[in-house]
Amino acid sequence: MPQYKNKLFICSLIIGSLFLILVLRLFYLQILKGDEFELFSIENRIRLINSPAPRGKILDRNNKKIVVNRPSFDLKVFPNELKDIEKVSEMLGGILEMDKAEIRQSITKAKKKSAYLPFILIKDIDRDTLAAIEANKPDLGGITIEVNYLRDYPEGKLGSLFVGYLGKPNKDDLKKFPLTNLNITVGKTGIEETYENDLRGANGINYKVIDALGRQVKSKLFQKDIEDKETLPGNNIHLTIDIELQKKSEQLLKNKAGSISVVNVNSGEILAMASSPSFDPVLFVNGIDQSDWNDLTKNVLHPMLNRSTRGTYAPGSTFKIVTALGALKENVIDEETTVFCPGHYKVGKKKFKCWKHSGHGWVNLNSAMAQSCDVFFYNTAEKLGIDRISKYAKIFGFGSDTGIELSEKEGLVPSRSWKYKQFKEPWYKGETVVTSIGQGYLNVTPLQITMMTASVANGGSVLKPILIKRISDLDGKNTMVSSSEVLSILPFDDMQIKMIQESLVSAVNEKSGTGKKAKVKHGTVAGKTGTAQVISTKTKSSKDKHKDHAWFTAYYPAENPEIAITVLVENGGSGGGVAAPLAKEIIDLYFDLKNGVIQNDNV
Amino acid sequence: MIMFDRRIIKNFGWLILFLALLFSAFGLINLYSASYHTGLGTFKKQLIWVCIGFITMLIITFMNSNLLKRYTMHIFVISLLTLIFVFIFGREVSGSRSWIVFGPISIQPSEFVKISLILIIARFYSNDFEDGPFGLKDIIKPIIFTIMIFSLILLQPDLGTALVIILLSGTMLLFMGIKRKSLLIILSILVLVSIPAWSFFLKDYQKERILTFANPSVDPLGMGYNSIQSQIAVGSGKLIGKGYLAGTQSQLRFIPAQQTDFAFSVLAEEWGFLGSAIMLLIYFLLILTILDTASSSKDKFSMLVALGIAALFFWHTLINVGMVLGLLPVIGVPLYLFSYGGSSVLTAFIAIGIVLGIKMRQSLVPKEDISLEKNN
Repeated sequence: MPQYKNKLFICSLIIGSLFLILVLRLFYLQILKGDEFELFSIENRIRLINSPAPRGKILDRNNKKIVVNRPSFDLKVFPNELKDIEKVSEMLGGILEMDKAEIRQSITKAKKKSAYLPFILIKDIDRDTLAAIEANKPDLGGITIEVNYLRDYPEGKLGSLFVGYLGKPNKDDLKKFPLTNLNITVGKTGIEETYENDLRGANGINYKVIDALGRQVKSKLFQKDIEDKETLPGNNIHLTIDIELQKKSEQLLKNKAGSISVVNVNSGEILAMASSPSFDPVLFVNGIDQSDWNDLTKNVLHPMLNRSTRGTYAPGSTFKIVTALGALKENVIDEETTVFCPGHYKVGKKKFKCWKHSGHGWVNLNSAMAQSCDVFFYNTAEKLGIDRISKYAKIFGFGSDTGIELSEKEGLVPSRSWKYKQFKEPWYKGETVVTSIGQGYLNVTPLQITMMTASVANGGSVLKPILIKRISDLDGKNTMVSSSEVLSILPFDDMQIKMIQESLVSAVNEKSGTGKKAKVKHGTVAGKTGTAQVISTKTKSSKDKHKDHAWFTAYYPAENPEIAITVLVENGGSGGGVAAPLAKEIIDLYFDLKNGVIQNDNV
Repeated sequence: MIMFDRRIIKNFGWLILFLALLFSAFGLINLYSASYHTGLGTFKKQLIWVCIGFITMLIITFMNSNLLKRYTMHIFVISLLTLIFVFIFGREVSGSRSWIVFGPISIQPSEFVKISLILIIARFYSNDFEDGPFGLKDIIKPIIFTIMIFSLILLQPDLGTALVIILLSGTMLLFMGIKRKSLLIILSILVLVSIPAWSFFLKDYQKERILTFANPSVDPLGMGYNSIQSQIAVGSGKLIGKGYLAGTQSQLRFIPAQQTDFAFSVLAEEWGFLGSAIMLLIYFLLILTILDTASSSKDKFSMLVALGIAALFFWHTLINVGMVLGLLPVIGVPLYLFSYGGSSVLTAFIAIGIVLGIKMRQSLVPKEDISLEKNN
């Protein structure tokens, strides 16, 4: 039928071009988008089973447990494997004592999102619930128990302020720790934060090939290019902390606000670092609830503040160590220098009082230190000047970080240029004399004071405080061992340091010494008290919050120093009366532990 | 009745037969892979159906073409009756009542009906000596035939087949020419009818299929799931495929209906772009040779039957592959000679047989003419 030839030819053209469209679509799917679809096809059949890595433990210097892990039994639901959501919800509702409608709702919601992605319905179920679930297992297809790890604190609140707590990662955390997946918790503060990468370990991953019905497929054919990853537990952190000293320190600060820190004067190792009040890290284990969080953050006593490293205070008379050494070095005073203390001192027209209003009479360096005579130092300070006071303060490390493995404050060492910048005002002489006795703008952390005392005790080395002794992996092999670090050598002669050391011994051991309540029977303690005014002396106030901060810093034994201690009690009153007795108790315990009077296991 | 002649061997549609057999061979190879993990039951059944189809094809090829033309009306009436029978006594499978079951064999009459529709439309035009374009009144008969079959199939309801019926009849009617005004009327009636058809005949799952086609990723595990899984299978095959029996989407059964409607995605996954493009090329060549047969046929009836069969193969391929590639909604239409299914295999072979017969008799026409003259 030749008359239809043209029409049939047009038909072939139409058919040909539609076939071409099919081929182009094939080209688009297989060549242009092939790699993308290949990924989809892998996702389709590969299931990841995460086996969580237990986080590293945090132990004391004798391997005593401070932070460990406990298993958390989490109820995991595989939505596509549930046969009868209604029935399962009802059963779970009964076992968990939850509303079954609520359970059904969360399952349906998760299933809508993705039927293949398992989700955790409820975390950390107790043993009885676990037993009930296991008993009903045949009827609970698609429900499994997954074991995860949660932090456990065998010593309760002990060390919570330097140990820190865990929480869900936020944006900043993800920047800091790029490998984090959103389902785990990360260290938010303290050691948990600083050593997140060591503590975390690596979750194990098991790949499972499944078919469209979610059944596991054993065939090797579909398992190329995928490899299981073994669980790698986190590394253990061995602190320099001695759990007994830490316990005692925290106990001594009970119902007080303050800080106690104990360091080894030769290595810089921190043996105890207590801050009070503190918080209970257990509150954070399963995510802290809002009211607990509010209680912690809105508390006027700041239980989340590690006072040892982040609390800044006027150092009071403990700072006289710096002024005295500076003055000796600059030849402003010497051993013979005597000053008459009538109980006050005049700078220009302004009168500055000595803490002892009746006056100390004639005092030299030794007795001025021992009795903490302010007038002696006012006098010295006028000669020394603020520039040299602040220079020596900085040499001791004030006004800058100590270098501890925790977040800390630098404090403040005032100077002329600082004051001009801050207030656009010149420096006044009266401010110099106030600075020399640790008042005024001067601001330090208790740990800075401890490191100062340690440097005087060890003969002139300013050490970096160390909180982490070593980090060990699963096999007990050390991945990091810390070593002592000398930050600076004090520029003083041995004789000058010795003079100060002797004055500190006097302060504790002489009858007139302000620190005599720290005197111990078994050796010689050297120390310096401090009573830092919170408000000006002119204002009389009996309010607790206006009471002076009580300081006491000491080292022991004086002849061959081993430890330095600083005690600070906020609004405690006088350093000699309140802080010194606490230091004594720590030193007593240290002696007992060292001499085996108290058994410290694992030593 | 069955005639043998030397010229038959010479003018036999060897190319058509070769392409058809080549394609069904690939279909079998592919079906082997698609049923590899679930036992080879469907593969074996299909093998038997291909053999039965082949024999049927031969019988039909060597049948006198006058016979087909003479009994067109009978075939059509039987088709209608079968469809009515199915509607009353048929077995319902996945929402459609379109199967007749004889013991182990299930038959889907709507498949065979397509051929009887082609025949009756071809016969209608072959009696007419005028040429188009035709007005509505002129072609009211084939339109009524179409509507009768269409309605019965829609009642089952079998949306895919119903659509093919409209496309088949439309192709043939348009080919013969329709006046512009009449075409407009027909189109507007189609639109008007499809609105109540949507609300009365379509079941919810069919509506959803069409609606979710717009964006299958909105609901990956709902109605769009099939389309997405099929596209993943096709796409992940990339240039050369994952290898025979190694398609992860097919072997792990992520592809739905991979032995029937989605058989082509198994091929595309395991043989890649090269394999599937070659397969489409073979199919295109097969349709071209059928169109060529139409073009060189000596009478209008044969020409139209061949055209109708070319259209039948074409529309099935376009809808099926378009669906597999995510271009068209998921409408259950098999890929002839490739998808599993006795009725569709048999229908395809009957159609090829008819085309082969037409092709063969193109050379015999002069002799027939002579004999006819003698009789007269």
